[in-house]
Amino acid sequence: MKARFILSLILVSLGLVAAILPQKKNSSIELDAQQLLNEIQQENHLISTDEMANALINNDPEYQLIDLRSETEYKQYSLPGSINIPFEKLFDAEWAPYIDQIARKNVFYSNGTTLSSEAWMLTKQRGFKNNYILQGGLNEWYTTIIEPEVPASINGEEAINDYEARLGAKQFFTGAGAVNNASANTDAKKPVARKKKKMVAGGCS
Amino acid sequence: MENKGNKYMNPYLAGLLLGVVLLASFYLTGRGLGASGAMKSVVVSGVDKVSHDYAENSHFYSKYISNDQKPLRSWLVLEVFGVLIGGFISGALSGRLNLKLEKSPKITNRKRIWMAIIGGALFGFGSQLGRGCTSGAALSGMAVMSLAGYVTMMAIFGTAFALAYFFRKNWI
Amino acid sequence: MGPIIPLFEISEEINLLIAFLIGIGFGFALEQAGFSSSRKLAGMFYGYDITVLKVFFTAAIVAMLGLLFMNYMGMIDMSIVYVNEYYMASAIIGGVIMGAGFIIGGFCPGTSVCAAAIGKIDAMYFIGGSLIGILIFGQTYPLWEKLYNAQYLGSLKLSDSLGIKDGILGLLVIVAAILMFWLGELAEKRFKREDISKEI
Repeated sequence: MKARFILSLILVSLGLVAAILPQKKNSSIELDAQQLLNEIQQENHLISTDEMANALINNDPEYQLIDLRSETEYKQYSLPGSINIPFEKLFDAEWAPYIDQIARKNVFYSNGTTLSSEAWMLTKQRGFKNNYILQGGLNEWYTTIIEPEVPASINGEEAINDYEARLGAKQFFTGAGAVNNASANTDAKKPVARKKKKMVAGGCS
Repeated sequence: MENKGNKYMNPYLAGLLLGVVLLASFYLTGRGLGASGAMKSVVVSGVDKVSHDYAENSHFYSKYISNDQKPLRSWLVLEVFGVLIGGFISGALSGRLNLKLEKSPKITNRKRIWMAIIGGALFGFGSQLGRGCTSGAALSGMAVMSLAGYVTMMAIFGTAFALAYFFRKNWI
Repeated sequence: MGPIIPLFEISEEINLLIAFLIGIGFGFALEQAGFSSSRKLAGMFYGYDITVLKVFFTAAIVAMLGLLFMNYMGMIDMSIVYVNEYYMASAIIGGVIMGAGFIIGGFCPGTSVCAAAIGKIDAMYFIGGSLIGILIFGQTYPLWEKLYNAQYLGSLKLSDSLGIKDGILGLLVIVAAILMFWLGELAEKRFKREDISKEI
């Protein structure tokens, strides 16, 4: 009888502990706040306008530009080769193969970086990989690539080299050879979908 | 009659052992235990063998036939095969291996056999409708706190209690 | 973090091997508990032997507590673990039919396999009956299809449907089980059947 009493007591106390402990949700793919913070601090998620311009000039298939602005804004002006996924439609099933994939680097951009940063955070939390932000957005694109500032001579040789590269890039994006946006986005292929989180089949079925 | 060999384990200890096995199953595979599912695999593959086209066209069997997977090579079938071996090992260790028809002395062997077949048929039928038996639906379901598990458990035990009086001769 | 096999994409062969090993543990535990005896199982419903209640609820509690603590310690992603889907009508009706099968046949599918393994002839007939029952269901499936799929409520948890934390439900189940153990042991004394207990 005594053993039964002790065992009951142990079980009930374990139950009490379980009842008191806060309910937690683990996820094998989602990141917690701390991990996100670390990622942000490392700045590995930023792609500079120079890097992007270079990739576009070299026709680098690794990058996929994603324009998060509205369709009207996109139609007025967009970067070559970009596709338009308006921010509010980011998680529509239609776009899932683009934003949740492993084949290419997605580069989000908007006018500034508000939309792209939010989109990056949301996709990161969901465990999607290969998403990046165009540093400074279209505003920075304009001030660095389209209308690059002439560096003062005190900035040294490196800055002057950059400037020259930017002038070349400007020629590429604004000159006669500028890629037609409308035709560029039609051949943005659907990348390989990332492996989905597996659900376990169970019970007796 | 009674010999020292055939004592059963303390039920609470056996429950602890069973619980640990169940927990291991969840931790390793993300699913609980099951039994009736394996029997279904046997039936499905039998029907499939007799007439593949028939099985393919049936709403029920076709769910369990896919081209790349044989129904008999499934997780539950292997698990139930293990149950057979595990039960045998335990029976051998405790000296309980012998062919025996267990029944109340008040009924004939023939009646016991018919009762077993009818009871089995009802259980088999019910486990398909209820998506799992005592192990897959009730026990595993209760461990993950699924509503289906608790409802199925209460339906099974409630009915058995309610009908116990009418079938008392079978057992006592 | 667990569950190991779905998360780490372990090969199918290893998965099946683990199924087999888990099955051995399952069968061993069932047989040691005495679930290989139909009269012992049936004793539950006449009060002379409540082993079923003790083993069943102890196992459910151990696994439930284990999952709760593993979840708390970040050892398992419960969103991957299978939670039975709840179709209200078929769960209740299926359960009632199974209950009838239990008291008439004296086994459930798992215990019948375990009993057949040690040579119980009645268990072998029960397995045969089960296969027939499943075949009948398969053959008459169009009749039940509507009922089978009715009132689908998803992978619903009891704690969520009651609106309480998982841990609180755990505590309630434990308290309920201890009360049942206690009542059951009183019943075992009151409805004692030495003649049967000696034989099984």
